[in-house]
Amino acid sequence: MSEAGVIHDIGYQRYTGPRLGRGALLRALYVHGLRATFGFGRSAKSKIFPWGVAGIVLLVAVINAAVRSQTGTWLFDYYAFDDGMSWLVIFFVAIVAPELVSRDLRSGVLPLYFSRPLRAADYVIAKVAALVTAVWLLLGVPQFIMFLGGAFTTKTGMKGVWHEVGLLLPGWAYSVLWAFVFASISLLIASLTGKRAFAAGGIVAVFLMTAPVVGVLSVLPSETSRHLAGLASPMSLISGVEGWLRDRHDLGIDVGNFGVIYGIEAFCLITACLLLLLARYRKVASL
Amino acid sequence: MSTVAYITARGLFGRRRVLLLLPLPLLLVGLALICRAYDVDPNQWGQAVVVGLGLAVVLPVISLIVGTGVLGSEVDDGTIVHILTKPLPRRDIILAKLLVAAGVSAVASAVPLFVAGILADSVKFGLALAVAAAAGAVAYSALFLLLSLVTRRPVLLGLVYILVWEGLLGRWVSGTRVLSIEQYVITIADKIAPTGMLDGKVSLPVSLVMAVVFIIGGTLFAINRLGSFSVAGETS
Repeated sequence: MSEAGVIHDIGYQRYTGPRLGRGALLRALYVHGLRATFGFGRSAKSKIFPWGVAGIVLLVAVINAAVRSQTGTWLFDYYAFDDGMSWLVIFFVAIVAPELVSRDLRSGVLPLYFSRPLRAADYVIAKVAALVTAVWLLLGVPQFIMFLGGAFTTKTGMKGVWHEVGLLLPGWAYSVLWAFVFASISLLIASLTGKRAFAAGGIVAVFLMTAPVVGVLSVLPSETSRHLAGLASPMSLISGVEGWLRDRHDLGIDVGNFGVIYGIEAFCLITACLLLLLARYRKVASL
Repeated sequence: MSTVAYITARGLFGRRRVLLLLPLPLLLVGLALICRAYDVDPNQWGQAVVVGLGLAVVLPVISLIVGTGVLGSEVDDGTIVHILTKPLPRRDIILAKLLVAAGVSAVASAVPLFVAGILADSVKFGLALAVAAAAGAVAYSALFLLLSLVTRRPVLLGLVYILVWEGLLGRWVSGTRVLSIEQYVITIADKIAPTGMLDGKVSLPVSLVMAVVFIIGGTLFAINRLGSFSVAGETS
């Protein structure tokens, strides 16, 4: 099983049995990353922040479901839920992304990782997948609670439930888009520094400083600049994609006829961030 | 004391992370310039740039990076022991660090706000913003310096304060504004140079007194905490 150039014996214990390959390494990294995002297997202290955010998000969903079952109207639907939670999602990725990549840089384990049959791409894929899953769970589980609230109180029987499923699935897809955009940007920023504190500050700064840019661009005296203003910030970019796909113009920003540009930029942004992440891990020095 | 201040300043500027301080002020001035160049009415963009970006993001984030950087990074890598074992009163250590942190964040945030204020309204407005931002920088620095002594995750707690307390709650729950430095800064700047852009929600005496409470209280508590400081390993 062992390949040439792979260091298995790092001086601790002899082992001559079968060895697992890249797939198993990737899966192990993914599972470990996903557990680390919510603080499983870590001390109680490291559970405070992620579960604090998750608790607030869940609470909002429960309140929303309760209000809907009592009065029959949403406080916000599945899409507006994601938009409304954006500040908490920023905070969540600011906690979790440095936890995933900055710790590895700081403790200098990367040379050990990459002396195994693990490629840089595998490492990046495992980390991105872990963060995407975590952010999606953060948004998707509350959406599912809202769905349960709606499905159990429906008046029209099975038809009402199917109607609700039809609303939930696009909502989940929307959360996937959120997860990809936020995970790729925050991991890229976090991978630049080994200090978790600075990585967290940097992630929040990048997300927050782009929001006022949208506000400014949208008051410029030009129709085109108003339609394109949302491109400047990840949050408004995502709602722009929503406005384009659902053909809505009553959201925070009016995308006009430029909706397709929002879609293209979202795709390019995610791809560019992932490629830069790959480039970042072409060469890893031990810090 | 001056040596501690010198070492702190060198630790702050000698690394790459000082570059983190550059883009935010540049963005602030750049946006103001763009709006000015397009001749947009300042009443439309002033609030978004000066309050939305300047006072709500640039000032607190810069103060957070600097304020937790002066002491927190030394606690993190354990070099704080070298200073603590010197025959210096703990008070002097805190005061020197606070001085550097407040000075750096005041300059880094007041200068771009001054420029943005001139572009938005007048020199007087710019000066008012600069004075208020400097006062805010001192208060934020005292708070974040304290945070880096009472907790192992000062940046995250500081972010909670900026994002959740000032950002989310301060917008909807009026009661939290009394404990929000951002609101003091807005009020002070508004009282020095009244314009339609700033909308102070707490009264001037309250903001002045509370800002001083934050500064003095934070400093005293930080001195107290450093007096009985125990060095521990990194959090897991």
